[in-house]
Amino acid sequence: MDEDILTTLKILIIGESGVGKSSLLLRFTDDTFDPELAATIGVDFKVKTISVDGNKAKLAIWDTAGQERFRTLTPSYYRGAQGVILVYDVTRRDTFLKLDNWLNELETYCTRNDIVKMLVGNKIDKENRAVDRNEGLKFARKHSMLFIEASAKTCDGVQCAFEELVEKIIQTPGLWESESQNRGVKLSNQEEGYGGRACGGYCSML
Amino acid sequence: MRATAQWLHKMAADSEPESEVFEITDFTTASEWERFISKVEEVLNDWKLIGVSSGKPLEKGVYTTGIWEEKSDEISFADFRFSITHHYLVQEASYKDGKEELVEDALPLSMQDLLCMDNDFPPRAHCLVRWYGLREFVVIAPAANNDAVLSESKCNLLLSSVSIALGNTGCQVPLFVQIHHKWRRMYVGECQGHGVRTDFEMVHLRKVPNQYTHLSGLLDIFKSKIGCPLTPLPPVSIAIRLTYVLQDWQQYFWPQQPPDIDALIGGEVGGLEFGKLPFGACEDPISELHLAATWPHLTEGIIVDNDVYSDLDPIQAPQWSVRIRKADNPQCLLGDFLTEFFKLCRRKESTDEILGRSTFEEDGKEVADITHALSKLTEPAPVPIHKLSVTNMVHSAKKKIRKHRGVDDSPLNIEVLNTIMLFLFPDAADKLTNGSEARPSTSRNNPPPESEEYNLYSQFKSAPSDSLTYKLALCLCMINFYHGGVKGVAHLWQEFVVEMRRRWEKNYLIPGLANGSPDLRCCLLHQKLQMLNCCIERKQARDEGKKTYTSDRSPSGSSCDTGKAVVRSGGDYQKETEKERGEVGKSWESWSDSEEEFFECLSDTEELKGNGQENGKKGTKEGSKESANLKPEGRLHPHGKLTLLHPGEPLYIPVTQEPAPMTEDLLEEQSEVLAKLGTSAEGAHLRARMQSACLLSDMESFKAANPGCCLEDFVRWYSPRDYIEEEVVDEEGNRVLKGELSARMKIPSNMWVEAWETAKPVPARRQRRLFDDTREAEKVLHYLAVQKPADLARHLLPCVIHAAVLKVKEEETLEDIASVKKIIKQIISHSSKVLRFPNPEDKKLEEIIAQIMSAEAIIARARSLKAKFGIEKCDQEEEKEDLERFVNCLLEQPEVSVIGAGRGPAGSIIHKLFVNAQRMTESSDEVATMTSLDEELKRSGSSDERRLNLGAVADFPPPAGRELILRITVPRPAPYSKPLPQRMYSVITKEDFRLAGAFSADTTFF
Ligand SMILES: Nc1nc2c(ncn2[C@@H]2O[C@H](COP(=O)(O)OP(=O)(O)O)[C@@H](O)[C@H]2O)c(=O)[nH]1
Ligand SMILES: [Mg+2]
Repeated sequence: MDEDILTTLKILIIGESGVGKSSLLLRFTDDTFDPELAATIGVDFKVKTISVDGNKAKLAIWDTAGQERFRTLTPSYYRGAQGVILVYDVTRRDTFLKLDNWLNELETYCTRNDIVKMLVGNKIDKENRAVDRNEGLKFARKHSMLFIEASAKTCDGVQCAFEELVEKIIQTPGLWESESQNRGVKLSNQEEGYGGRACGGYCSML
Repeated sequence: MRATAQWLHKMAADSEPESEVFEITDFTTASEWERFISKVEEVLNDWKLIGVSSGKPLEKGVYTTGIWEEKSDEISFADFRFSITHHYLVQEASYKDGKEELVEDALPLSMQDLLCMDNDFPPRAHCLVRWYGLREFVVIAPAANNDAVLSESKCNLLLSSVSIALGNTGCQVPLFVQIHHKWRRMYVGECQGHGVRTDFEMVHLRKVPNQYTHLSGLLDIFKSKIGCPLTPLPPVSIAIRLTYVLQDWQQYFWPQQPPDIDALIGGEVGGLEFGKLPFGACEDPISELHLAATWPHLTEGIIVDNDVYSDLDPIQAPQWSVRIRKADNPQCLLGDFLTEFFKLCRRKESTDEILGRSTFEEDGKEVADITHALSKLTEPAPVPIHKLSVTNMVHSAKKKIRKHRGVDDSPLNIEVLNTIMLFLFPDAADKLTNGSEARPSTSRNNPPPESEEYNLYSQFKSAPSDSLTYKLALCLCMINFYHGGVKGVAHLWQEFVVEMRRRWEKNYLIPGLANGSPDLRCCLLHQKLQMLNCCIERKQARDEGKKTYTSDRSPSGSSCDTGKAVVRSGGDYQKETEKERGEVGKSWESWSDSEEEFFECLSDTEELKGNGQENGKKGTKEGSKESANLKPEGRLHPHGKLTLLHPGEPLYIPVTQEPAPMTEDLLEEQSEVLAKLGTSAEGAHLRARMQSACLLSDMESFKAANPGCCLEDFVRWYSPRDYIEEEVVDEEGNRVLKGELSARMKIPSNMWVEAWETAKPVPARRQRRLFDDTREAEKVLHYLAVQKPADLARHLLPCVIHAAVLKVKEEETLEDIASVKKIIKQIISHSSKVLRFPNPEDKKLEEIIAQIMSAEAIIARARSLKAKFGIEKCDQEEEKEDLERFVNCLLEQPEVSVIGAGRGPAGSIIHKLFVNAQRMTESSDEVATMTSLDEELKRSGSSDERRLNLGAVADFPPPAGRELILRITVPRPAPYSKPLPQRMYSVITKEDFRLAGAFSADTTFF
């Protein structure tokens, strides 16, 4: 069963508390919405296998509590993550304004600079929208992130968000396969040109 | 048979009797032969080499600047495997495909190429390109490296197959067969066009027959081979290249003396530069200079070159080009350091095994004193310390050692050891001079520079270049190389670990480590040291807490008391925190009031049980009345203007416990444990519970600081978005704010409510410690103690690579070499991919080290060449720049042409170098100096004059290689045949003589 799994990817969900991180994850993994979902303490963890472009990838998804006080616990979970989903609540402007802080934190603790980032504006089912879609789009573009608006409640955009993130990770060389660490690296005697060929025909005169 | 047979015969006569390599295969079976031919045809078809070849005339030098590619396949003759390879110069597609203006009976391209003079003597090319000037050809050669086609009949059979295949397919690309042992590079081949054919033939001899050593003899053989019926023949066109080798220049110039290491250690403590890596070659990285003097366009009759006289004076040659031969892997210091350090990674022994237990354990106390050598420098001592000099310390320590063991048994010289320890722990020196207490390292207060270079550590996962860890790595690297190898390494490490323990026990902070939690961007060893420092800090804080608090302590938690339970506030309210500073003093009174209790009850909450229990039992709201009577404790400062919901008192942010610092291995462990709980509801619940210690602790602190508070109050501080406020209209018609917990907080017996109910009002300082510094420190110390030298080397390799890259960078800036800049970039990107992962493969590490070594070698070569060409001494700015450019080209291109040949500035320097070398070999008088020679050259003026005094010593040695290309277009085999290109290349070196002929004939009218 595990044989056809291409790779295991570590994905992180971050953002202010209450924006719907746990709900998005629950929607993605169990396809349900639970209005009685408890506030996360520390970090939580879920697994799901998905198939993107015919490749199966196992996702280990770490959900974090957004409260300031818990943040001291989470940096460890940034380590080695290949993808991160940064969530804000489109009905709460303050959660959008906090995004910069989250990106800083990501930069500080993330061990790799090629991590794939996705911005999700959640709760678009609600009526009192406070952040325009274009603002989210602009922010994402500025920070080279993927962007989507979603609703954990109505299911809008959720599947798509995860799939696109995974697809992007798989397309990023060196991010997920261990062999690829060496890709594109040329070794010291590259300037020797023909010198090392087995044919023996290449030569300078003497 | 054809002429080939004759040539082959010559060649065969020259080779010693050798065993036939493929006796077993019966080549004569008709069916096998036919199958072979059809396979060849198939491959030619697949590669689309069928039909008329086309292409534009070759540009000058395109064989050097263009791209060559090859395509290979495998075919077999019976069970003998051959590889068939198409070599070709990549050409613009439009010429390859556009078959519009093809003239049916035009000569095949290859035949035209035979006459092209614009690509003679390419610096680097397949030998068949060099010999025949071809842009494209196919070679059939035995597939296995030691297979060979040896017998004449088999050679002929192969050649006939080739001929048939070419004929059947109409392929116009020359097809060669490699015969004899591969090292001889013997090829025969054929090219066919419409009514024309070129035979490629070859002679290869060990020694050149006398009559072929000069132009006139070669012209004779060329003409006789052509056997052209025309008289007189048109003049033969000639290209000649003579190559001279310069080897003996080391005598004048030694690139660099190995540094005198003993001098480093000898003198003053301050003079020692343990933090530096050495650099440069220990031997000349340039072994030879090859000068090629070329006459590209001569015509028969213009010059004389026979067995008694020659017009070919290299000084007069119209073209000069130079190439250098680089010493293979010249010994370079930085590379050696790295390689030796890397070798440590493979050692198996533990520190104890290397040092022998006796030294440090059996002999008991007295020896232990010595291993604590440094402790005497930093410990408060009853004797005024300034009276003790370092040398005093060392001498007494040495004497003690001598008592127990021979002094030489000590793996590290005690002076070296002391110097290193003072280098690593400069605070010990501060102490020595001041007699005052060691300051917690000076660098701690300086914010790290934000330069790109400084931040390299996060890419390499090493450590900042001013950190203890980085310095330790460099010291170990140097010790490994110069001071006793692995034994010295083990010894220093043991001393280091002893020092770490001493610092923990004595409460001295470790210098050279950034404040705060372990930096996960650094190597694990660095994190461990930081962790130890965190423990020391907290212990310091606890110990200091025992002393009476003085009022001048800053309440804002500055670096000196970070070990205390520390300030944390809801981030959303950071700004208010700043504003409230003024009021802070008040809350601190409560802090210092109860100072004594802080330590009495550190890990004992028993006595508080009665106090908290009843509070917990009653629900969130009711319980408050009674507890409101409790005395508030552990207040940090008020939380803005917020007041408690019920008593209406200001809401205070409590002093809370600082979360536990973590190293990456601990974090890894923890996240593994959490992940193992699985994804079930139960697992999730357990996971939350395991992580709720911090929440509970904060709730307790909060309750202690805010008697009478309820969960809503707590949530307003801790997770404000979970307290939802709404404007409502009350009974009297007023709009009021009504707040309530969010839905998820109201879920009965959710973990927040549960924790709230369990939490007792206990201030942080009386709570059980979330972080057990004693235990963690002991864990770190144990971890350090069990590290073998090999483990250590693996931990620190990133630091050493980091330092080496910085060193290469520094040296490169002095020379400004583009290719090194490129390599440095590659090393950095390669390293950051390899080093950031745990347990990188040795192979990849070796690759990185090899890259660093190649960069070092290039810089060393540049320096060697600059010295040889006297660039530093050159006082004319313009000339200097030209020379510099020339030297850079020499480093980066296979061959560089000398502007002005023997008469240009570079040319005259090269000339001088040769003259000097000649003098040196003639008269073994080594004192011959450059200067006297310079004058002589100036005096002698033109080379004609010099030729007259040639009686003494020739300026140049005999050429190491003579290459000639003879070309002509004449009808063959009959006078009325089509005039076709004929060509012969010859090369004479010390080891061999080769003639490579291409003779074309008209096949239509014959
Ligand atoms: N209307 C609506 N409510 C949502 C949505 N996602 C989450 N919520 C609610 O927002 C609150 C916080 O959600 P949660 O997933 O716990 O947020 P987290 O703290 O970021 O993990 C809960 O009450 C959810 O029911 C959504 O898409 N639409
Ligand atoms: Mg959550």
